[in-house]
Amino acid sequence: MTKGVLLYCFDTPQVSYSKITDRCISLIERNLDLPVTVITDADTEGRIKSNCDTRVVDVDKGNTKLSKPWYNLERHLAFDHSPYDRTVVMDVDYFCYSDKILRLLRSENDFLVHKSAHDVLHREQMRYDREAMLDLVWATVLIFDKTPRTRAIFDTVKLVKQNYVHYCNLYRITYKNFRNDYAFAIALNQINGHREYDVIPDSIATVPADAEILELNDNGAVIRYKDKTISLQDQDLHFLNKEVANV
Amino acid sequence: MNIDQLKKISRQSFDINLQKANALKKAESDQILVYENHIFRADPETICFVRTASEGKDSFFMLDSNSNPVEITDPTEFLELLLQRNQSALNTYHQLYQNTKNRKV
Repeated sequence: MTKGVLLYCFDTPQVSYSKITDRCISLIERNLDLPVTVITDADTEGRIKSNCDTRVVDVDKGNTKLSKPWYNLERHLAFDHSPYDRTVVMDVDYFCYSDKILRLLRSENDFLVHKSAHDVLHREQMRYDREAMLDLVWATVLIFDKTPRTRAIFDTVKLVKQNYVHYCNLYRITYKNFRNDYAFAIALNQINGHREYDVIPDSIATVPADAEILELNDNGAVIRYKDKTISLQDQDLHFLNKEVANV
Repeated sequence: MNIDQLKKISRQSFDINLQKANALKKAESDQILVYENHIFRADPETICFVRTASEGKDSFFMLDSNSNPVEITDPTEFLELLLQRNQSALNTYHQLYQNTKNRKV
């Protein structure tokens, strides 16, 4: 069975995702030792310096976040894009400072996702249980096998994407821009017969957008928020501050 | 103590608790163990259950972290792996905690 990591990387006028991808890949090489395939566009491909397999696609540039371009509309195609039997799809700003993903790959679960994330500043702001009628999942990291059931999950995500306004109304989702987290939450809910599904049992450590990143090294990061300096070492981190490209 | 000293102590306590909370979250991630293709948490509850259920038995059944049933056919090996992972995670947590504590006023 082949195993590998699938990344989506599309530079925007504001953010050099290719730089973030290079750092992400170096940590994958160091801590996971898995092959990497990057789905990208023609403009970005030449800026990715890492030694990895790249595949160029025509990116759907329709979405925005905080009035800035947000190219997040390809994730539902991961089943078709992945050359691996067992795939880890992760955001390029999810940095693997531990072997946690490698451990999870040894499980037999054909689809795994986090249902919980926490702000490393512990401000208790990452709960979305009042923003929709179903639990949010974090599509930051997806682990899946190619099975008929996981094909059904990705096909349902496509359906949700095509009819997103309808599903937002159905589940009373307050956030109206397309968001993979909700699309996968809806798909998992529906394919699992509106019952519980298997999840990754820990929480994603998230560095919030308003935290300044002082230092990134091989083992972790040092961040600052107001007068507080926090060192986060040897644990996977999801960076919401895209300045991570310039550190 | 004047108000500035009290504020300083309060801020330091907040910082220490923040470091502790992050270290504890890291320990929870470090405790994830995959055995016989199932995901477990190498936490005290799991370790106690495995020790109790395995007493005088070659195999037993238990639930993984997603409540899926699994047969454990080598309890000794499983318990050893659980303890290793638990102690490795807590050792790291202990070191981080000591570093934080040493910075106290």
